[in-house]
Amino acid sequence: MVTREDVLQMARLSKLYIKEEELDALTRDMDNIIAFAETISAAQCEQTDFDNISNLSNVLREDVVLPSYSREEILKNAESQDEGYFLVKKRS
Amino acid sequence: METNFSKIKAAGRLLSSKQMSCEELTKRYLAAIEKENKTLNAYVRVTEEQALAAAKKADEKIMRGEVLLPLEGIPMSLKDNISTKNIETTCCSKILQGYTPIYNATVWELLQNQNAVLLGKTNMDEFAMGSSSETSCFGGSMNPHHTGHVAGGSSGGAASCVSGNLAVFGLGSDTGGSIRQPASFCGVVGLKPTYGAVSRYGLIAYASSFDQIGPITACVEDAALVFDAIARQDPLDSTSQGKKESASASLTKELKGMKIGIVKEYFEGIDKDVAAAMEKAMETYRHLGAELVECSIPELKYGLPVYYILACAEASSNLGRYDGIRYGYKVPHYEDINEMICKTRSEGFGAEVKHRILLGTYVLSAGYYDAYYKKAQNLRGVIVNAFQRVFDACDVILAPTVPMTAFERGQTQKDAVKTYQTDICTVPVNIAGLPAVSVPCGFDGKGLPIGLQLIGNHFQEAVILNAAYQFEGATRENGAFRSVEMGVAL
Amino acid sequence: MKYELVSGLETHVELSTNTKIFCGCTTDFGGEQNTHCCPICIGLPGTLPKLNEKVVDYAIMAGLATNCEISHISKMDRKNYCYPDLPKAYQISQFDMPLCKNGYIALSNGRKIGITRIHIEEDAGKLVHQRGNTYVDYNRGGVPLIEIVSEPDIRSIDEAREYVEKLQMIMRYIGVSDCKMQEGSLRCDVNISLRPIGSVEFGTRTEIKNMNSFTYMTKAMEYEVSRQAELLDEGKEVTQETLRYIVEENRTESMRGKEDANDYRYFREPDLVTIEVSQEKIDRFKAMLPELPDAKFTRYVNELGIPEADAGLLVKYRRVAEYFEKAMEGTANPKVAANCIIGQIFRRVENETEKEAFDIALPAEYLRDLILLLDGGKIKMNLLKSTLEKMLDQGKPATDFIKEEDMGGIDTDTLRQLCTDAIAANPNAVADYLGGKEKALKSLLGFVMKNSRGRADAVEAEKLLIEMVSASK
Repeated sequence: MVTREDVLQMARLSKLYIKEEELDALTRDMDNIIAFAETISAAQCEQTDFDNISNLSNVLREDVVLPSYSREEILKNAESQDEGYFLVKKRS
Repeated sequence: METNFSKIKAAGRLLSSKQMSCEELTKRYLAAIEKENKTLNAYVRVTEEQALAAAKKADEKIMRGEVLLPLEGIPMSLKDNISTKNIETTCCSKILQGYTPIYNATVWELLQNQNAVLLGKTNMDEFAMGSSSETSCFGGSMNPHHTGHVAGGSSGGAASCVSGNLAVFGLGSDTGGSIRQPASFCGVVGLKPTYGAVSRYGLIAYASSFDQIGPITACVEDAALVFDAIARQDPLDSTSQGKKESASASLTKELKGMKIGIVKEYFEGIDKDVAAAMEKAMETYRHLGAELVECSIPELKYGLPVYYILACAEASSNLGRYDGIRYGYKVPHYEDINEMICKTRSEGFGAEVKHRILLGTYVLSAGYYDAYYKKAQNLRGVIVNAFQRVFDACDVILAPTVPMTAFERGQTQKDAVKTYQTDICTVPVNIAGLPAVSVPCGFDGKGLPIGLQLIGNHFQEAVILNAAYQFEGATRENGAFRSVEMGVAL
Repeated sequence: MKYELVSGLETHVELSTNTKIFCGCTTDFGGEQNTHCCPICIGLPGTLPKLNEKVVDYAIMAGLATNCEISHISKMDRKNYCYPDLPKAYQISQFDMPLCKNGYIALSNGRKIGITRIHIEEDAGKLVHQRGNTYVDYNRGGVPLIEIVSEPDIRSIDEAREYVEKLQMIMRYIGVSDCKMQEGSLRCDVNISLRPIGSVEFGTRTEIKNMNSFTYMTKAMEYEVSRQAELLDEGKEVTQETLRYIVEENRTESMRGKEDANDYRYFREPDLVTIEVSQEKIDRFKAMLPELPDAKFTRYVNELGIPEADAGLLVKYRRVAEYFEKAMEGTANPKVAANCIIGQIFRRVENETEKEAFDIALPAEYLRDLILLLDGGKIKMNLLKSTLEKMLDQGKPATDFIKEEDMGGIDTDTLRQLCTDAIAANPNAVADYLGGKEKALKSLLGFVMKNSRGRADAVEAEKLLIEMVSASK
């Protein structure tokens, strides 16, 4: 059973706001989906703790320096920047 | 059997025989998009300037008498979750509006090296979460066979533009069926490669252990050609392995003696018209000399919950980065940094995306992790093993791609669980990392296309594409396929 | 105090690889903000990490050097939390299958501090808060770290300090990190709880985050111990919380409350594959490991006869120890080389950084050659010392300062003659000495040494002078 408090806690962890008027409907939806997900609880299965879908191991990179991007490119998509930093103003 | 359906080859012939310049071909497509995209909403961004520049380059090469590369000068599209340097890439989400990547996805790098002509970025469900492309912040993409119906999703735009002849081919991505389902709905071919066959570098992640880029094309041969061009081991993607053998060179093998698995669970509860089309398809394969083997994977009943638990868990993590600081949408008014982040995300993401983030957070959170995430992870292993059992006895598995045909616009999103059910035949492949292709196999009573799905063992793209190719050759001109009267005829 | 301290440390050590853990950007410290960045460092959508092999290797070395088991199979996980310095909103780290586990570090008091685990992870970027604005620099984001987690085995602040010092020394020895606390390449989170002496149960613990100097770590621990003791004395409970240490006010302060406790939602990083370490690789790394400071110390004391205090000074920095070992090679008494380094060379490398680098102009081989002259009886100790100073000034071999004819001792007759000359030439000094000014003998000795061009044995000469002056009375 998913509760309103559960949904609010998930929203807090996910950095999402939920409007009071949406909360009940959202809780119901979540509860529906979780009830659906619940069907797996009946499944008997061996422990396969260790999942590795690509079945690969040790794909590694040599410790060789590559040129970094220009700061202009790095900051290009930032809504706000100052003196080479990404900037979040105190309030806006 | 050799077929002659390839639009890539047809376009290539036009160009190299100088019947048409690449510029003219490109302009025809651009004009067709201008005319039809209002209806189809397949493209969310048209890249006319880049397209014409690439076309010019191809024309210069033709003028110099040089031989063109297989995809050179071919007008195509990319789904809007594939990163394109200096071209806005938004995943059809408000949260990425204005975001212009500073690097190219590996697949686009490979296609650019072949000088393919990018017409634009195609519509999709927001962050590839949906089955109708209607969660797109640009609105849904329509089905060229019936514009009152959706193109499917999440790669709805890619399927719509290929079906509506607004691109020779398109690249989509498939996390739980997002290439195959719209391909099936729009009556085109869609290939979801083996997990690891195509690099994911630059593909904006939805669920990293499921996502795979693949082609949506007008016919099987084109799917093989595009697959051959993009399947590479990529040093930038640790999970990529490339392909085993050339798919396009393997298309002429006879099917005599091929064992095709009919897994009964795939046929439970499918629409009548779809069931009938499947029966016909099996009959065709018998005629082609294949042997049909009945089998069962009871574990498939866990497919949907396993998929939604794991995919949402990964998504909740993958989508944490959209905080307004480095790129994308940032809310204009806020009181402090935490409020800025929360408001940006709350306003920037659509309802379906937020649902899945919350769900994913829930199944990973302390107290629920074992019951949901861990259990689903274990079942994933069980499903992988179950498929291997079937592949011990069969070469390919035949199944419907979707249990139904394209729904009317606006019909989805009412009941989440019911909507998720439409993915029941596509998600098992992503769970197990297998390759699968959807190929047109007929129509329902309303004239909406039905897709046949062929599933292969890991890195057996050549096998399933050949099986699809032989089927296409036997059926395409006998009612399995109808071309849509719009766009550019090749 | 009626309470016993129970403490465990989580130590973050920045690895000195050339590149970051998941991309090819440089790890150089101190570049201009956001200039050591690429799409991967700032978490652009669609980017994927690629693990740096050197990071795995260094972590294995760190594990072997701290007596850990190395896992044959391990993996990376995502630790999810949203903070502006973390560009992907998750840190790629290791959760339930760390590379190394079950090690220890032995302290000088004989106690072993258990090491629960060592895992690899990425560092976060840096936030600068100014006038309420937040400025973000991702240069440090993705710099490789190992996190060394100790058991709650530490029972005193001195033990905590020695534990960190030992870790620092070992990491520097094996060359995986420079461990500069002031630059943040070694930082500790300290867990602290108290329990009544004799009790076996642990008390409620607090965690002080991000200690980046030994002084502050000691002060913060002292403060926190007395704060907790006061609470317990008053019959109050210690709240489990995360604290930060305020240097200016010498106190700790809560960083976040319990209800705000984070849920990191760890799960396997799907973008990276399994890390497998073969036994062959572990054996190879074991063989490559340098002799560690503890082993060196024991050997210096037991086999070379170096006094413990001196041995401690020599082994503290690997380059010093290596210099010593080169300089003493083939010499008769290792103590001579030890004394030269501790007595004379250390005067020229005053601070810790200089000792760590031990970048001195004089090659160890030159010092050895000088000591061999002493061993061969060709020079005396006093000439060795004065020559060493000149050699250190100019970085040149002994033969540049000592001429062939200066070498070799002088016979007793010559020495007696020199002493006679000295007495004859310095009647005032002789008178002073006989008058009770013992220091006056020094000028006589100086005369002898000077005229023997340093060849005279100072001890012998002094004995002879006393004898002759006394006799002349």
